[in-house]
Amino acid sequence: MKWIREIWQSIVRRDPLSTDKGKSELVFLNVWLHIHPAKVKKENLRFKYSFYLGFITFFLFLILLTTGIALMCYYRPYPPAAYQDMKDLQFAVFMGSFLRNMHRWAAHAMVVCVFLHMCRVFYTGSYKKPRQFNWVVGVMLLLLTLGLSFTGYLLPWDQLAYWAITVGTNIGSYAPLVGGQLRELLLGGHAVGEAALLRFYVLHVAVLPSLVILLTIVHFWRVRKDGGLSRPIWKLKPQKTEALVTIGAPAAVAPLQVTAASKDKTYGLMEVVTGKPIFETVTPEEEKDTVFSYPYAFVREAVALMATVTSIMAISLFFNAPLEEMANPAVTPNPAKAPWYFLGLQELVSHSALLGGVVVPALMVVALILIPYIDRNPSRRPRERKWAIWLFTFFVVANIILIIVGTFFRGPGWAWVPPWVHVVARPE
Amino acid sequence: MERKLQQLFFALSLLALVLILVAEWQASTPSWKPYQRKFLQLEAQEEPNAVSKAAVLATPLAINQVVLPGLQRVDRCTTCHLGVEDPTMKNAPGPFHYHAGLGPHVPSKFGCTICHGGQGLATDMKDAHGNVAFWQTPLLPADYVRASCGRCHKEGDVPGVPELTEGRHLFETEGCHGCHKLNGVGGSIGPDLTEEGANHRSPEWLERHFLAPNAVSPGSAMPNFHFTREQARALTYYMLSLTSGDMGSYYSSERLIPSPEYGRQLFVEKDCIVCHAIGGVGAKVGPDLLGVTKRHSDEWLDEQLVNPELVYPGSSMPKYDLESNARKALVAFLASATPKDAQDILASKGHALTPEDAAIEAGKQDFARFGCAGCHGTELQGGVANPNAQGEQVPSLLHVSDDYTKEEVIGIIRDGRVSPMDNPKGSAPPLYMPSWKNVLSNEDINHIADFLWSKQQKKESW
Amino acid sequence: MAALCSAVGVSLGAVVRFLVPSVFYGPPQSFKIGNPGDFPYGPPTFLADEKIFVFRDRERGFAVASAVCTHLGCTVAYFQNDRDFHCPCHGSVFSPTGAVLHGPAPRPLNWFEITLTRDGQLRVDKDKTVPPTYRLMV
Repeated sequence: MKWIREIWQSIVRRDPLSTDKGKSELVFLNVWLHIHPAKVKKENLRFKYSFYLGFITFFLFLILLTTGIALMCYYRPYPPAAYQDMKDLQFAVFMGSFLRNMHRWAAHAMVVCVFLHMCRVFYTGSYKKPRQFNWVVGVMLLLLTLGLSFTGYLLPWDQLAYWAITVGTNIGSYAPLVGGQLRELLLGGHAVGEAALLRFYVLHVAVLPSLVILLTIVHFWRVRKDGGLSRPIWKLKPQKTEALVTIGAPAAVAPLQVTAASKDKTYGLMEVVTGKPIFETVTPEEEKDTVFSYPYAFVREAVALMATVTSIMAISLFFNAPLEEMANPAVTPNPAKAPWYFLGLQELVSHSALLGGVVVPALMVVALILIPYIDRNPSRRPRERKWAIWLFTFFVVANIILIIVGTFFRGPGWAWVPPWVHVVARPE
Repeated sequence: MERKLQQLFFALSLLALVLILVAEWQASTPSWKPYQRKFLQLEAQEEPNAVSKAAVLATPLAINQVVLPGLQRVDRCTTCHLGVEDPTMKNAPGPFHYHAGLGPHVPSKFGCTICHGGQGLATDMKDAHGNVAFWQTPLLPADYVRASCGRCHKEGDVPGVPELTEGRHLFETEGCHGCHKLNGVGGSIGPDLTEEGANHRSPEWLERHFLAPNAVSPGSAMPNFHFTREQARALTYYMLSLTSGDMGSYYSSERLIPSPEYGRQLFVEKDCIVCHAIGGVGAKVGPDLLGVTKRHSDEWLDEQLVNPELVYPGSSMPKYDLESNARKALVAFLASATPKDAQDILASKGHALTPEDAAIEAGKQDFARFGCAGCHGTELQGGVANPNAQGEQVPSLLHVSDDYTKEEVIGIIRDGRVSPMDNPKGSAPPLYMPSWKNVLSNEDINHIADFLWSKQQKKESW
Repeated sequence: MAALCSAVGVSLGAVVRFLVPSVFYGPPQSFKIGNPGDFPYGPPTFLADEKIFVFRDRERGFAVASAVCTHLGCTVAYFQNDRDFHCPCHGSVFSPTGAVLHGPAPRPLNWFEITLTRDGQLRVDKDKTVPPTYRLMV
């Protein structure tokens, strides 16, 4: 039986998980897990702090990757085959409709969760020093998520897809100077057609996912290097607060605490060499507030993963993703609406093309990116950030209202038609 | 807490497993499978013994589809409608009954939706019958299915669908062109009807519209023509047939129906008047064809056209290699041909018939059938390369009378000839005139010579 | 542990089944070739699109041979003198029963099931191979 042990040891090099050393080695010797710290602070495990939204978004992305690749086996990115393949998936492929539903609902969920995650990070002030750049990376990821959802929206090639993208790219064309050219570049032509479908397909399955993966790597890396998940330090006992040092701390603060090395803790060589501790220096008393990632963090991640997967599966079993009639350039549905996350934008555009379609959204994005650099208040404590919180809440609520208006209150001709008014279609 | 989390993880994993199993079960039990099982049971009942019964019942269940690139569609109707081509299923229940009267319109060539409407790609009943949101061509009601014939057969009468002819006729005589454009001709007061069949209107709407336009389209300028029910229906049929949409050229050829008009065309093309007369007008080489369809059955006449020697061994009537619809068209023409037709055809020939015409026509047919044209050209121009032969190519036959007498040519055809070499030391030319005496009768060879002589161009006329 | 294995097994099964196509877009494997009366006795009728030879024997009935060489897939030609099949690509020769006489072909030519449908047509099923002695009497 020694040979079984030998084979096992050659693959799994760590000590048994019953030992502390083994628990640490599981993390830092494992290629998939070594982005985690070997030990995490207990507060970071609290569901009510982060709602695990970052992880949920990542898991949704994994679902989208796997279901997306599966769907690629049966999808041809040129009209009219694209529409026929959607019907084939629905009627003639084993579990085709289930997989397509999973892909569609996970996509919508990811847009929502990215947005909620951004809100959480803002409300906990976790974009402040030293995490400013990670916030910027996050905004990039938000834009990429919207881009992925938008490019994927065209692929079914039905009326919904065709006109949503027509409207969406037309909104984009209002950008000054480059708008028209950008639109033609995106569409590979003057109108949505074969070239557009192929380009959107390439963007959707190759270019944008690669960018998302690259930026996600940076995003996770920066989480670790910026000091892990933020935590409400004002809730800690007062003397601990002073003892903490963070990266880039102003020299005015007391010099670095020198802490006697704990016999339970292993220090990475790189930490000693640079002379700067990468973690917030932890006193032995505080050690009690950390636990090993295995099993405490991993079990929570696993639960989050399973909850995400089962929710998407359950929704996919009961709700079918829409498929309207095949794209018909000659027939415009009235009203023609962009995908729901752009409906706020479309509502703005209906008031003013340049202002609503270009200026305001551009300003919103720029403002988002600059938040960590504009906000000079170093405190993350809510009562010390009232202005910031109110402003951001206003921005969030305004967006939601615009989307609600665009979804439910706009009828044919973009006229104001509340949802409780029944519109009778006139025969032609 | 940790324990509870672990339990939660396992519970959720179990739930995920259950959900996948549910999804798999859903995917494995589509609604078409019970139909196929039922059909196999019906088929098994007809089988004579237990072994063949078991063989039938063991047939694997699968989606049946017909891929029709020419019609740009894929039809899966035969997944459930399994008895469509099985005459023993005349009285079968539900979707299994036999579709009588298909003729050449078999599912493997035409699918089903081209005539019946519906969503061919679907595999459950409601979606396949098309009465669902976002599918614009649901099943045509039974009363209107025959209108679909007009989508391909746009010329002439369509057998079995007098409504189309009547509808077309009414459209012309009631002055519809005055307000509606059709194929570029007409007024602009009402909508263009060229593609009305593609507008996905329900047949019932169209018919109601013809009976009372303003009741269906309030404020319409179309007057009430007080059509009868039958007239409204005929016009509806005609409207439903107006589309150029999904037809590949194979499917839209008017020649698909063997009509007497097409038969007349063929009669002229094949120069039948050169040997046959109709009511005494024409040539006397072969039998007079007036009333021939009353003397012989259609099958006999068809066989005659395929193999003239069958009934009259030694007949000089050539084999024409006509396809079955072309033969049917000829027979249809003969059923109604009169001496006047023969006179018109003769008049269009430009010169009086001579007895030699029959021989020349026979020779022409033989020249084509036996491949002479392959070396000597369809216009007798020659020109096929023959290295190291004199002239380096197969000679043209247009001036053969300058160098040879007719008897010499007949001799060459009978005995064949090795091509004279340009360079005696070089390799033999690959092409040579074969000997035909064992393949062609003397009479055939004489006819070919007659044909060649009829085509000669004198040197002075160059 | 057992639960984990069954979960993995079920998921793998689903993945594999998903990838197996339920409908095919090429020419059908089972098709009608016409009425028995359309086929002459003597030398076989070659159907180019379906790549089959349809033999009709006065005593024994119908048989259908594949025209696809078992070596690398070229279309073989039938020669009436010796009643054998020759492949032009690498010179394989098959006997009248499809057995390999010489050449690089590894297997004999396939013979396909031919049946009579209820509306009196001949149906060939390329998914069902039969021994060379199989005949359909009509």
